[in-house]
Amino acid sequence: MGSTQDTVDDLIKAGYEHGFVINIEQDTIPPGLDEDIIRRISAKKGEPEWMLEYRLKAYRHWLTMEPPRWAHLGLPEIDFQAISYYSAPKRRGEGPKSLDEVDPELIEAYNKLGIPLEEQKALAGVAVDAVLDSVSVATTFREKLAEAGVIFCSMSEAIREYPELVQKYLGSVVPHTDNYFACLNAAVFSDGTFVYIPEGVKCPMELSTYFRINEARTGQFERTLIVAEAGSQVSYLEGCTAPMRDENQLHAAVVELVAMEDAYIKYSTVQNWYPGDEQGRGGILNFVTKRGLCKGARSRISWTQVETGSAITWKYPSCILKGDDSVGEFYSVAVTRGRQQADTGTKMIHIGRNTRSTIVSKGISAGHGQNTYRGLVRMAARAENARNHSQCDSLLIGDKCGAHTFPYIEVRNPTAQVEHEATTSKLSEDQLFYCRSRGLSEEDAVSMLVNGFCKEVFQELPMEFAVEAQKLLNLTLEGAVG
Amino acid sequence: MTQAHQAQREWLQALLQGAPAAAGPEWLARMHAAARERLEQLPPIDRKQEAWRYTGIDTLLAERFVPPPHREADLAPEERAPLEGLETWRLVFVDGRFQPHLSALEGLPEGVIVGDLRSRETHRDNLLATSVAQASGHHAHLFTALNEALADEGAFIQVPAGTRLERPIEIVHRVTDASAPWLITPRNLVLLGERAEATLIERFSGRPGTRYFHDGLTDLVLGRAARLVHYRIQDESREAWHLSSLRLDQAAESRYEGCTFAFGARWSRTEQNTVFEARGAECHLAGVYLVGEGQLCDFHLDVRHEVPECRSSERYKGVLFGKGRAVFDGRILVAKDAQRTDAHLSNNNLMLVRDAEVDTKPQLEIYADDVQCSHGTSVGQLDPQQVFYLRSRGLPEVEARRLLCLGFASDLLEAVHDEALRHHVESRIRQTLVLEGG
Amino acid sequence: MTETKTPMLSIRNLHATVDGKEVLRGIDLDVGRGEVHAIMGPNGSGKSTLSYVLAGREGYEVTAGEILFEGRNLLEMDPEERAAAGIFLGFQYPVELPGVNNMTFLREAINAVRRARGEAEMDAVTFMKKVKAAAKQVGLKDTLLKRNVNVGFSGGEKKRNEILQMAMLEPKLAILDETDSGLDIDALRVIAEGVNALRSPERSFILITHYQRLLEYIVPDRVHVLAQGRILRSGDKALALELEEKGYGWLLGEEAVA
Repeated sequence: MGSTQDTVDDLIKAGYEHGFVINIEQDTIPPGLDEDIIRRISAKKGEPEWMLEYRLKAYRHWLTMEPPRWAHLGLPEIDFQAISYYSAPKRRGEGPKSLDEVDPELIEAYNKLGIPLEEQKALAGVAVDAVLDSVSVATTFREKLAEAGVIFCSMSEAIREYPELVQKYLGSVVPHTDNYFACLNAAVFSDGTFVYIPEGVKCPMELSTYFRINEARTGQFERTLIVAEAGSQVSYLEGCTAPMRDENQLHAAVVELVAMEDAYIKYSTVQNWYPGDEQGRGGILNFVTKRGLCKGARSRISWTQVETGSAITWKYPSCILKGDDSVGEFYSVAVTRGRQQADTGTKMIHIGRNTRSTIVSKGISAGHGQNTYRGLVRMAARAENARNHSQCDSLLIGDKCGAHTFPYIEVRNPTAQVEHEATTSKLSEDQLFYCRSRGLSEEDAVSMLVNGFCKEVFQELPMEFAVEAQKLLNLTLEGAVG
Repeated sequence: MTQAHQAQREWLQALLQGAPAAAGPEWLARMHAAARERLEQLPPIDRKQEAWRYTGIDTLLAERFVPPPHREADLAPEERAPLEGLETWRLVFVDGRFQPHLSALEGLPEGVIVGDLRSRETHRDNLLATSVAQASGHHAHLFTALNEALADEGAFIQVPAGTRLERPIEIVHRVTDASAPWLITPRNLVLLGERAEATLIERFSGRPGTRYFHDGLTDLVLGRAARLVHYRIQDESREAWHLSSLRLDQAAESRYEGCTFAFGARWSRTEQNTVFEARGAECHLAGVYLVGEGQLCDFHLDVRHEVPECRSSERYKGVLFGKGRAVFDGRILVAKDAQRTDAHLSNNNLMLVRDAEVDTKPQLEIYADDVQCSHGTSVGQLDPQQVFYLRSRGLPEVEARRLLCLGFASDLLEAVHDEALRHHVESRIRQTLVLEGG
Repeated sequence: MTETKTPMLSIRNLHATVDGKEVLRGIDLDVGRGEVHAIMGPNGSGKSTLSYVLAGREGYEVTAGEILFEGRNLLEMDPEERAAAGIFLGFQYPVELPGVNNMTFLREAINAVRRARGEAEMDAVTFMKKVKAAAKQVGLKDTLLKRNVNVGFSGGEKKRNEILQMAMLEPKLAILDETDSGLDIDALRVIAEGVNALRSPERSFILITHYQRLLEYIVPDRVHVLAQGRILRSGDKALALELEEKGYGWLLGEEAVA
C-alpha cells in the first residue's frame, strides 16, 4: 500500500515545465552597475531627459541604502555587479510596431509557454503584453483596446508616447526611496506594462502581461503602472516563467496601481518562476514591490496571487485605502516545496472613512519549503468605521517544512474593527482515507483537498486563470503528498 | 552610534555610577560583575528592533533614577491589610526594600523557604548562587541586565518535592516615598520541587505621586510534575514605570498557569519567556489589561516548543478606556521535533475612546507538521445593540458599558480559582473603568 | 462454506493490531452474495477495527490471516482499489472535507471507480438524475448537495450522506459501521428504507451495530457476536433478540468458561 509519505515525496519531486531556454539572439549590456550603465539603458530606450534624471536620482539614493536582512529568509549574497541590467532580443529597427514584425522564433516560444501571441489563436477576450528579459516584445489586441480609449502598451512606449501620464504617476505610489529593491528598480527598470483606463470605461477585455526571463546572468526589473480613472474597471493578469539555471537570478519588479473614484482594478498574478532544484540550487529571487492606491471614494483594488515558483519570494501587494468607502482585497495562495522560501502577505493601510479590507491567505508548505505570511493592517486615526477581516491558514505536508504567520495590527480609531484568525494544520489522514475509500486515488484525493483548502482564493481569479492555477497547483504538488 | 544610543549609554552609566557597590555575599558580586559586562555588549534598545517596535523608552531615559536606601519603612494600616478573605504567607517590600516586620511567614510547612534573596537562611548550600547563575543570560536586554547589575534584593521561594501549599504565597511591592525617582530592581527566584504545588500572588502598587521604575526579573523553575498558579496584579502608581521579566524553566509534565492583571503605571511591560525542553509540560498565560489616559501597556510573550507533546496557550484581553496605548506581541514557536504540540494564542481588544492605539502582533512560527495551532486577534468596540439592550432594562449607560467590559473579560476572570482574589480583581476593574457615555 | 458456492467475502483467522495492541484475534467470517450480516458486540470489541481493516485504513496492521473478496486478496489492495472492486464503508463518524463540494466529490468518486472498472464516465445528465433520486430516497435536502462534504451537517445528515454515496457508488459489499448511532427513529427508518431499496441478490451487507433496533428495519440473514476480538457466536435474527434481552454478559461468561 503506498503510504502518504510516498505520495508526498513524489509530489515534492515534481518537475518544472517551463525550464527551456528560448534560442534567440539577444542584445545584452555586459554585467555591472554604475551611472554609465544607467545612461546606456536610458539611451537604448531613447528616453527623454527627465526619465534619465529620475533613474540617476534613484541610483544615487540606492547607493546610500543597505540591503535588507530578514530573519526568516536565508538570503544568498547578491553581487549586483555580476548582473546584466539590460537584455533584449535583437530587433530590426525600432522594435515591433505590429505582430507581423515579431520574430517568428519568439512567437513559437510563447506558443510553447501556452501564450499564443497571434490574436486569432489567443484566449478570447485576453490581450497580452509579452515581456522577454528587459523589453516588451509584443502587445496584442491594441487596436481593439484603442477603440475603447484604453491604453495598453509597454512602459518604454508609454514614456515616449504618454510622458505626461507617466510623469504624473510613476513613483507616486511606490517612491524610489521606498525600499532597497524598489529603489534599484527605479534606477534600472527596462520595461513593463502601462495601462490607462479613461473615465467611465469598462475595459472590454482582460489585460495580461507575460513575463519571461530568458538570458543567463540577467536580472528582470520591470515596472508596471495601471491608472484607472473615475468609474472605470479593469482586470489585469500577469504570469511569469524562467529557464532552469544553476545560478540565482534576480527579479525585482515594481507595480503601481492608482484607482480614482468608483474605479475598480483587479490584479491577478500566477507566479511560476523557476524555483531552483531540490538542493536549492538556482531559481529566481523574486523581490517585488506591489502597491495600489485607492485614491478616490468607493474605489476598489483587489490583489489575487497564486505563487508556486521562485527560490525566494518576497512580496506584499498592498492597498492604501485613502478614498472614503474604498475597498482593498488580498487573496493569496503560496506554495513552497523543495527548498523554496516564500515571505508574502499584504499591507492594508486604512486612511479614509468606511474603508474595508479583506485578507485571505492560504499557505501550503511541502518538502523543505518555508512559507511565511507577513501582513500589516493599519487603521489610521481618521478611518471611521473601517473594517478588516483576515484569515490566514497554513497547510503542512510533511515534517520538514515550516509555516509562519506574522500579522501586525495597528489600530488608532475606536470605531474601526479588525479581526484576524489563523490556523495551522496538516493534511489529515482521516480525510485522505475517506476520499480513498470512495475510490479516489491518493493523488486525486490530495489535489481535491488542497484545492478545497485554496477554494476561496481560486474563485477570485478570472475563470480561464482559475483553471490554470488549479492545474499549476496540482503540478507543483504532484508527487508531494500521500 | 546615534545620538539616541549615546543618550542611552549615558543614562546607564549615570545609574551604575550612582549605585553603591553591594556589600553582599560573593555570588551577588559575581552576578553584578557579569551583568555589568553584559551591559557593555548588549545593543542599545531601538524602535527598529522587533521587540521594541511599538514601545518607546524615551520617558524612562529622561528620568534620573536612584536606587532606594536600605531602610525599615512602615505602611499605613489600610496598605498593610491583606486582601479581604485572602489568607497568605507574605513577603512585603516597601520602596523596593524587604520589610521583615511587615511580612507574615509563620507556620510554613517543613522545608518550605520563603524569604529575601540576601537573608542567611535562603543562602544556604549555595543553592541560590547556582540557580541565579543558571537562569541568567538568555533573553537579555538592557533592562534585565540592569536589574542584575544592581539587584541585591528579591523574593526567594523554594517548595520541596511533593509539598503542596495550602495557602498562596504573596509578594507585595509597595512604594510610599515620593521624594525621589527610585530604581527598584528585585531579582526573584521561585523553585518548585518535583510534584510540588503552589499558588503565588504578586501585587505591585505605589502611593499616588510616587515616581519609580520597577525593573523586576523573576525566574520560575518547576520540577517534574510541579504545578504553579501565578497571579500578578500590577496596580502601580500612575507615574511609575514597570517592567517585569519572567522566565520559566519547566521540567516534564509540569504545569504553569499565569494570569496578569494590569491597571497601573504610565509605562508597563511584561515579558514572559518559556522554553519547553521536556515532554508533557503545559504553560498557560493569560492577562487582562485596562489602559487609560496616557498609559502604555505592553505584553511580550514568547513560548518555544522544543520537544513533543507540550501544550501552551496565550489568552490576553484589553480594554482601552482612555487615550493610551496597548501593545501585544505574542509568539509561539514550534520547533522541528515538537510534534503533537497544542498551542493557541488569542488577543482581543476593546477600544472605547478616540486617540487610543492598539498594536498587536500574534505570531506563529511552526516547523513541525503534526500540530494543532491557531491564533486569533480582534480590535473592536462594544456592541451598541447590547448597550441599548441593557439600557432598555434600566441600566445607566455608563454602568451598561462597564458591565459589558466585565463580560468581555469574564472568561479570564472566571479562571481565577481563588474567590477572594477574583472579587478583588473584579472590583478593581470596576473602579478603574471610568467610562463616559456615548 | 459449500464447495459449489464460493462466498463473496471470506475472512480466515484474521488477527490485527492497532498501535501494537492486538484488537482482532482470529476472526472467521463468510458473507455470501446477496446476504445481510449483522455484527453486534459491546464497545471496544473490535467492530470498527474490522470495518477499517476491510476498507484498508493505514495504521491497522494485519498480523495473521487472510481476507478474500471475490477470490482476490483484499489485503494487498489500496483503499481506492477496494472501492473500485466494490467495497463500501459507511463511516461511523463521516469525515468533513472543507472546500470540497459534495456533488463534485460524488462525481469524482463515481468516475474514478468507473474508470478503474474500465467503464465509461457517467455523463452529467445521468449523474444529476441519479443524485436527485438518491437524495430524495435518503431524505437529504438538495441544498446539502451543494455544500462542502459533511461540513456543517448534523449527525443525521452526515449518515444520510453516507447512504447517498452508497447508492451512487453501487457497491457489491457495503459495510455500515454504526450507521444507526445517534439517529432518531424517523431518520433510522429513512436510512433503513434506503438500505432495503439497495438490497439485491448481487449485493451483500455487513451491518455493524451496538443495538438490535436497526435490525427491526433491516432484517439480517445472519447475526454474529463479536467480543474480545473474536466471533463468539453466530445465529439467525433470533440471536439479536436474545442479545437485546440478556445483554452480552452471558456470552462473555461462556467464553471465560470455554
